[in-house]
Amino acid sequence: MWILIAVSVVTAYLVVPPLFSVIQTSLTTTTLAGAIEAVTLRHYRDVLFGFRLAAPLANTFYFALGSSVLSTFIGGSIAWLVTRTDTPLRGLGYFTAFASFGTPFILYTIGWLLLLGRSGPVNAWLRSLFDLTGPAFNVYSLPGMVLIESFLWSPLVFLMLAASFRAMDPALEEASTACGASGWQTIRRVSLRLILPALFSVVLLIFIRAFEAFEIPALVGLPGDVQVLTTSIYLDAHRMPPRYGTAGAFSVILMLVVAAALYFYSRTTREAARFHTVTGKGYRPALIRVGRWRYFTAGLIALYSFCLLVLPFFIVLWASLLPFYSHPSLEALSRLTLRNYETVVKFPKLFDAVRNSMLLGIGTATLVMALTTLASWILVRTRLKARWLLDLLTTLPLVFPGIVMGLAILRFYLIVPIPIYATLWILLVAYVARYIPYGIRYTHAGLLQLHRELEEAAYSSGASWLNCFRRITLPLLTPSFLGGWVFVFLISAKELAMSILLAGPRTPVVSVTIFELWENAQLGELAAFGVVWTAILLTVAMGYYLFARRYGIQLQ
Amino acid sequence: MKTSAARLRLLMVFVLFAVVGGGTMAGAGGAPTVEEIALMKGAERQKILEQGARKEGNLLWYGTLIVDQLMRPVKAAFEKEYPFIQVEFFRGNSERVAQKVIEEYQARRRDVDVVDGTVSPAMVKKAGFMQRFFSPYLAEYPPELKDPQGYWGVTNLYFMTLGYNTRMVKPADVPKSWDDLLHPKWKGQIVWSTSRGSGAPVFIGNILAAMGREAGMGYLEKLAKQGIAKSTASARALLDLVIAGEYPLVLNIFNHHAVISKKAGAPSEWQPMEPVASPFNTIGLAKDSPHPHAAMLFLDFVLSKKGQAVFRDVNYLPAHPEVSAKEPELKPGGGRFKKVNYLNPEQQFEKGNEWIDLFQQLFVK
Repeated sequence: MWILIAVSVVTAYLVVPPLFSVIQTSLTTTTLAGAIEAVTLRHYRDVLFGFRLAAPLANTFYFALGSSVLSTFIGGSIAWLVTRTDTPLRGLGYFTAFASFGTPFILYTIGWLLLLGRSGPVNAWLRSLFDLTGPAFNVYSLPGMVLIESFLWSPLVFLMLAASFRAMDPALEEASTACGASGWQTIRRVSLRLILPALFSVVLLIFIRAFEAFEIPALVGLPGDVQVLTTSIYLDAHRMPPRYGTAGAFSVILMLVVAAALYFYSRTTREAARFHTVTGKGYRPALIRVGRWRYFTAGLIALYSFCLLVLPFFIVLWASLLPFYSHPSLEALSRLTLRNYETVVKFPKLFDAVRNSMLLGIGTATLVMALTTLASWILVRTRLKARWLLDLLTTLPLVFPGIVMGLAILRFYLIVPIPIYATLWILLVAYVARYIPYGIRYTHAGLLQLHRELEEAAYSSGASWLNCFRRITLPLLTPSFLGGWVFVFLISAKELAMSILLAGPRTPVVSVTIFELWENAQLGELAAFGVVWTAILLTVAMGYYLFARRYGIQLQ
Repeated sequence: MKTSAARLRLLMVFVLFAVVGGGTMAGAGGAPTVEEIALMKGAERQKILEQGARKEGNLLWYGTLIVDQLMRPVKAAFEKEYPFIQVEFFRGNSERVAQKVIEEYQARRRDVDVVDGTVSPAMVKKAGFMQRFFSPYLAEYPPELKDPQGYWGVTNLYFMTLGYNTRMVKPADVPKSWDDLLHPKWKGQIVWSTSRGSGAPVFIGNILAAMGREAGMGYLEKLAKQGIAKSTASARALLDLVIAGEYPLVLNIFNHHAVISKKAGAPSEWQPMEPVASPFNTIGLAKDSPHPHAAMLFLDFVLSKKGQAVFRDVNYLPAHPEVSAKEPELKPGGGRFKKVNYLNPEQQFEKGNEWIDLFQQLFVK
């Protein structure tokens, strides 16, 4: 009971102030100096009826649905190949997902836009292949948005689903095979159904993220006149004074949509016992032999890695070596220079930014995983009545658009007398609050699959709760815990929306530095910095991979 | 529970007294207020400012100028002039800087001394958090390049022109007048930014000012049929897209960017259409500046010819009428254009929403 209270209080402290602030913002108008002027429902009216709602809403829906389904398909297929089959190149799949996941979105998006743009190499190649006059396809369109957004999220899908796939009960599949089902039948009838909750939760997560996404709609959708809700609001809020009220109202509406989706989700997964897969019996699932299909499956992983890591990295590397950007050609080869790297290395903020981002990533990941492991345990194992409150609290941050949450946290710590404003601490608080739901997806899914009987065995042998938690639950949770840790680390290393508001003059972080380069300076310097940062992240991903292998944390 | 709440309340009361008490004591002690320092004139001014600044030792500057290109060189030049003052800065875009100052003042945090930006000083002024100031150097500027009420001066100018890719557009084909932009061959070939401070809204405001309301609206309606691509990226990023060959033409870029890229060998060039819209970067003093002496020395320096030379040296366009640009043709009277429409930030503030509405109405599907 006391754990429930402690965990709830900490979570509430992190989550409730932003919530309050958002609701308040959505219901009031303020003077330019920030004082509250009047209470009004105007912002809701503006959001609901203000921007010729039908078209942006339909676009938003297609965009979010398309992205969530496509990214789950791509990431899920690769995760399945990597965790459940003996296909070659499995390590590459892991590596790709980790490495690309930590790269700032903006760097990726720029990379893909350069590749797929009107005059980019892909279009030029298709044009010469089919002898066309105009661009072969237009990336600045709804399908283009869905494609890039799916690419962006597929590593997340991969990382989340890999944890679930890894922990599937082999007995059920073995039973199916023993009953004479073919490999495909087993996958469809048994495996797919077993991971249904995980799959559904991932689709839902990506749907929500895409629903409130801003980067891709702004960079890809707007030039092609595809408007979604966030870009409508952006265009509309581009005013003086800024209209936070509308953004607040949008967030509240979004929260309601998400709450409905979550309710639906919790109903489908209510009978959690059906999905227990790690029981006292067999544990690690057997790998499926792909046999002669292995060239095909290895090819898929290689293709995934090529599209997700090699191509964008190559184009960014190319951009970093040019004094000004031009598409890859022999003629441009003569202009290659290292000057951008010189500028970047001389940029003294670089090292501060890298250090701060690393510190924040480590701190956030550790705190989030500690907090969510306890919270998940309470949610899954106890029968306390107040669990729903904790469930709600740990899911809530999911519904805040980053920029809204950043603003809310900024306001809160300016007003309350806790002196963390303009320090790294405020960033830490913000990151932890924002990434609780991600951590909990890992530990919750992990715990859901651990059958109670293992812990019961410990209790009946006389172990105390603490003892059991430390010696049974935690070790069994290690894959989920570590997976979640790396995940939260990477996601906080690239966080932009909140950092842009909260990073102070003395606390630069990498994502904001890259964004500033994008806003102001030339592509070349940004690309050079991007290459340096990607190299650092690759080292981290590689280090984790080796560490995990060495200490027997099974990766595949 | 109860005791901790009570303790918290006690703490807050204490903080409140400390703030109020501190303020009153400073007033009673006879030390000059920020306002007195800011508006000080006379022969002793420089000496008093230096004396005060020695005690203050540093100043905090919230600005929008690009760190590598400007904030750092300006800081270095100023610290060389006054080695006893350390300059610290925060950089953000215009809206972010204004928002930060306002948020902090609302929370009674008085950290910032100097604020710059195209519209940020004007925005902070509207919120009531800027301080009028006097600088002897302001007299050297024309009336349209300083605030009549004395809240801001101008550090540097921007000129918004057409930009194009010289490999994609032949010299004879370059649009030279507003009407040339309406030619059918440019349909779907132009890109512009949605940015309030430099993009499509500024273009629209300039057209309305140049042609008058009725003719201007007529022109814009025709222009809307050209299917101009929109982007939230900055003018600089759009010029890079044009250099990369994604679009041949970009409307409303900063003309000096085209020159900087051309010097690096990029196929970029600019073309003015008169009157050329000119937003400019303003700078001013925060109302309760904690280091007013140092801040005033800083404002003096930036507005003086010496400070303006720093802007020139990094290829920016100094606002001071007697400090020419490194490439004289970039400024009016340099041979390529004469007529300029200076976009006063207050005017941008008043009319900006109207321009954005027009933009959405005419150009957003």
